[in-house]
Amino acid sequence: MTLLLRAIVAPGDAGVGADLGLRAVSGTAVAALASTWDTTRVAGEPELLDHHRLIQTVFERVPCLPARFGSVFADEDALHVRLVQREVDLASQLARLGHRCELAITCAWRDKGVASAVSIVPAGSGRAYLERGLERTRGDREREVRAEAIVARLLSELATEPTFVRHRTCPRPAVAVSMSALVTRDKIDGISSRLERLGAQLPDVTIVVQGPWAPYTFAVSE
Amino acid sequence: MTREPATLDVPLVELVDRLLNRGVVLTGELTISVAGVDLIYLGLSVVLSSVDTIRRAGAEV
Repeated sequence: MTLLLRAIVAPGDAGVGADLGLRAVSGTAVAALASTWDTTRVAGEPELLDHHRLIQTVFERVPCLPARFGSVFADEDALHVRLVQREVDLASQLARLGHRCELAITCAWRDKGVASAVSIVPAGSGRAYLERGLERTRGDREREVRAEAIVARLLSELATEPTFVRHRTCPRPAVAVSMSALVTRDKIDGISSRLERLGAQLPDVTIVVQGPWAPYTFAVSE
Repeated sequence: MTREPATLDVPLVELVDRLLNRGVVLTGELTISVAGVDLIYLGLSVVLSSVDTIRRAGAEV
């Protein structure tokens, strides 16, 4: 029966998802939690959110590494073979990350990125087209500079806690900064308070903090 | 500032990005996005649809 990987946990925690319908495939150092999956099934938004809910439920119970959506195995044997090949690395990651959580920090432009969006309106003449292109380039550059300044402010706030951070600037027109912070649970309230104060000082962005989630961004494949 | 513990909606696109692009992979499958087509193939085993719905939700942020 085909299995869809959900999370990696310690072998002693292999039974943590039994009431969620999760099947455990255990190695020596780690165990994989997976659900049965119909390969003819077309996955959409509900299946993605189910994946997140399952991971979150497991993560609330025990340390875990979240699996990227879409890791499918023909059967338990196939999953076991791959798990054993990777279990030294996975056990190391689980020990390092499993008890930490991810906060997703998004700084959204208050104007929803209108400055970038308006430049895609078709221009009439060639000159107007080029001028619009120049305007767009200048606007994008200004936003990138501003986003980097916001990152510096965020890092300054987060530096008061022992956090690991990854970020992207201007990943989408409406977003200035998309940041992931790896933190321990006891630091979440302090960080949230600092970001709330920072948000009140920034006139051009709204700060949205989501989480705590399992450490998606910091669990690596290889 | 808005804080959404384990939220499933705002901003949904940040969550979807993590579900599809980050996290442990054991099979080494690639996620392939086909521009202009609302399908993402995950390896050869899973087909993901309704991406346009997710994008619309995320476009608000």
